[in-house]
Amino acid sequence: MTHPGDIMRLEAEIAGVPADVLAVAPSTNDEVASVLRYASDSNKVVDVLGGGTHHGYGSPRQPEIVLSMGRFDQTEAWNPEDLTVVVGGGMPIERLEGMLAERSQTAVLPEVPGSSTVGGAISAGMSSLRRGRLYGTRERVLEVTLVTGDGRVVRAGGRVVKNVTGYDLPRLVVGAFGSLGVITSICLKLWPVPPAAMTVIVDDVSAADVVSRPLAVLESDDRKAVFIWGTESEVEAVSGRLRGEEIPGLDWPVDPAGSLRWSLRVPPANTSEAIAKLPGGWRYLAVHGVGDIRLASDSRQGAGALRSWAEGIGGRLVVTESPPASLPDFDPWGEPPPAIELQRRVIAQFDPRRIINPGRLAGGL
Amino acid sequence: MSLVDDLRSALSHDRVLEEPLELHLYSKDASMMRGEATCVVLTETTDEVAAVVRIAEDHRVPIVARGAGTGLTAGASPTEGGIVLSTTLMNDIEIDVDNRTAWVGAGVINLDLSTYAEPYGLHFAPDPSSQSVCTIGGNVANNSGGAHCLAEGATTSHVLGLEVVLAGGEVVVLGGEAPDSPGLDIKGIIVGSEGTLGIVTSALVRLLPLDPDVRTLLIDFETMEEATQTVSDMIAAGFVPAALEIMDQKMMVAVENWLHAGFPTDAAAMLLAEVVGETEAVTAEAALISEMAYKNNARGVELAEDEAHRAKLWKGRKSAFGALAQISPDYYLHDTVVPRSRLVETMDEVQQIADRYGLDVYNVFHAGDGNLHPLISFDASEEGMLDKVQRAGEEMVAACLRNGGALSGEHGIGLEKRDMMRASFTELDLDAQARLKEAFDPEGLFNPAKILPEGSRCFDFGGTRRPIPEGAWV
Ligand SMILES: Cc1cc2nc3c(=O)[nH]c(=O)nc-3n(C[C@H](O)[C@H](O)[C@H](O)COP(=O)(O)OP(=O)(O)OC[C@H]3O[C@@H](n4cnc5c(N)ncnc54)[C@H](O)[C@@H]3O)c2cc1C
Repeated sequence: MTHPGDIMRLEAEIAGVPADVLAVAPSTNDEVASVLRYASDSNKVVDVLGGGTHHGYGSPRQPEIVLSMGRFDQTEAWNPEDLTVVVGGGMPIERLEGMLAERSQTAVLPEVPGSSTVGGAISAGMSSLRRGRLYGTRERVLEVTLVTGDGRVVRAGGRVVKNVTGYDLPRLVVGAFGSLGVITSICLKLWPVPPAAMTVIVDDVSAADVVSRPLAVLESDDRKAVFIWGTESEVEAVSGRLRGEEIPGLDWPVDPAGSLRWSLRVPPANTSEAIAKLPGGWRYLAVHGVGDIRLASDSRQGAGALRSWAEGIGGRLVVTESPPASLPDFDPWGEPPPAIELQRRVIAQFDPRRIINPGRLAGGL
Repeated sequence: MSLVDDLRSALSHDRVLEEPLELHLYSKDASMMRGEATCVVLTETTDEVAAVVRIAEDHRVPIVARGAGTGLTAGASPTEGGIVLSTTLMNDIEIDVDNRTAWVGAGVINLDLSTYAEPYGLHFAPDPSSQSVCTIGGNVANNSGGAHCLAEGATTSHVLGLEVVLAGGEVVVLGGEAPDSPGLDIKGIIVGSEGTLGIVTSALVRLLPLDPDVRTLLIDFETMEEATQTVSDMIAAGFVPAALEIMDQKMMVAVENWLHAGFPTDAAAMLLAEVVGETEAVTAEAALISEMAYKNNARGVELAEDEAHRAKLWKGRKSAFGALAQISPDYYLHDTVVPRSRLVETMDEVQQIADRYGLDVYNVFHAGDGNLHPLISFDASEEGMLDKVQRAGEEMVAACLRNGGALSGEHGIGLEKRDMMRASFTELDLDAQARLKEAFDPEGLFNPAKILPEGSRCFDFGGTRRPIPEGAWV
């Protein structure tokens, strides 16, 4: 059993953490392990804090320990010639992408991350707006080091771009909300950023049909835009074909703001229909070709009908942020996902006392 | 009732095979390891698969899923006996053009899917060289790659949903056309699990639009080093074409004798490079590839003239393993992967190992991914030969690991590399993987003894896993 004194050593000031909650900021795998072992032994709920930007998901339990990933913010290895990078779970996305941009590379993580960390985006399963062309975050994660709920340090995957050595645990942690363990280190597959890029404002998203595989086709309340990148000649030719106002570079929109935030997920072909079905006053940013629609509203009015419609076509309406107790009787995830008992058994193998972020995952897990 | 009687009453008499000759046909995959099944079932529906799983549990016998049997690691070899479940009759395709997806039966042949999708302007990106015979179920189970996975990712990036039969015969549908299904990505962990977590009956796959334009270049070099250096240079310069495949001289000769693909047999190595996309893009990129190749002393760069020429080049590339049949009765192929900046050194070490053992090694590989396939040709009937080949192979894998690589890039672990897993992972790493297996399959009935070495589960003294059986190697 870990001595509480060992844990106290790791105590840190973390803004916004109430006085009766123990705040710790470990900096090594072993330290994380000792915190989690202590928490498991004494049945204390641990909240893992990355950038704190994905804290709205699920029905989290009141934490007794807040574990900050702030000290896991290093670049452990960057191999530009292999297009791979290894970073700590607490690495801020903005800082990482800034560093990679110097060598015209990207990890294809969310574009406007705020204070989001790599570990946080992976845990919450957040993807880039470029996902229609370059795929989601799960396709980026090559290797992970996890500290399990009972304090085991486990590595899976490898630092190569193609790998089928054992079970694909690196992909399983994407969207797992920490239920398999605290992600302390990640190897990401990078992608080259080509020399030219253009944002073209269009009247209708169908205008994008003249491009074989655009980087993104995004629609928000006030703008429809096609994003392209590539060689100079390609970008010039394709922009010309799109016949719209041209903004040099990639002019990413920001996610809509509001006291309530949602993620509407529908089959890609239903994206326009979904926008048409939004209740009055809801703001949106939709990734066409993917069916990923980010929403904000000031009231929940119309949410029930929208969710029923979405679930009826195999989609979801997920609450991603809400003021405390603002949505009683409204499950943040909607209907429970399939194979819930199996998920419970898998989690029990990694976090047997269920101390890391309990309640955040769908189905109340 | 006996196992076979139970199965026959659940399926039909003729779809449960037990004649010795039939069992022999299903006793191995394309690897060098054989098992012995108690019987073979040919299921047609998901309900039948569920019934077979329940019967296997009642009789406490293993169940080994099998697609086309082209796996190279004994994944589909029933080395622990039991039921071989063949999916070849489960071959429906239901395409959704608007969403660019298709629900595909596990037994559908990879190439048949792309052929089916072509009139809709779509195709399935993963294209293993075995694509004209291997099945989608096998691709999913092995997370198979292919020449064009360099830019688009391996099978897992293209699987959006799965219908799976789990332990207890429970049927679940996971994932779907909408992105980011909530909950743990159970579908994602089943991809690449080599039939050890459940039986995939059907997959929802992503289809990509056919490319508007393409350029295919055949580049020849006087040394292997120059060819691999060209690939490393391209990646280092931040340029990832659609495909970058290398073949050495010996392999080219073998292919030319048979298929006359037009490969430069007097060159030490050739690089087959392809770029796809908008015309403006592929024109510029093809020029860039030539430039980089010439910088590394390429002797010549040939551009495929038309679709027929391109198809001939790809046929030559994808038939390489088969071409070795003229050279020797047997070949042993290792599939490993190294960081792309380590290609030159690793290829060198592989050759030195072959030389030291006096073995003939042929190379044809997915260079852009750093995915090597050293192929040792030999005659297994020669005294002591198999042993020598195995030892050389293990040294080659060890060399890749020393260079920062992984055990397998696309063929999987199966039984073949199972006992090498300890070279890649700690006890705790393996224990975590074994726990995952336990959560899915507590009785250990799905393809037992594959992937994880015996004793992977720490503190597990019961031990359902056994050493590789005597005589499994053929
Ligand atoms: C000439 C040749 C070239 C090859 N080229 C490539 C290549 O370029 N890239 C590549 O990645 N591989 C390649 N391979 C390896 C092999 O073809 C692939 O692994 C392929 O995906 C296997 O498919 P299959 O249908 O033959 O599966 P099988 O060999 O029948 O089975 C493979 C594994 O999948 C499991 N399995 C099969 N179906 C199911 C199911 N429905 N549910 C659960 N588990 C299942 C089996 O139990 C086994 O573990 C090649 C093989 C050969 C012989």
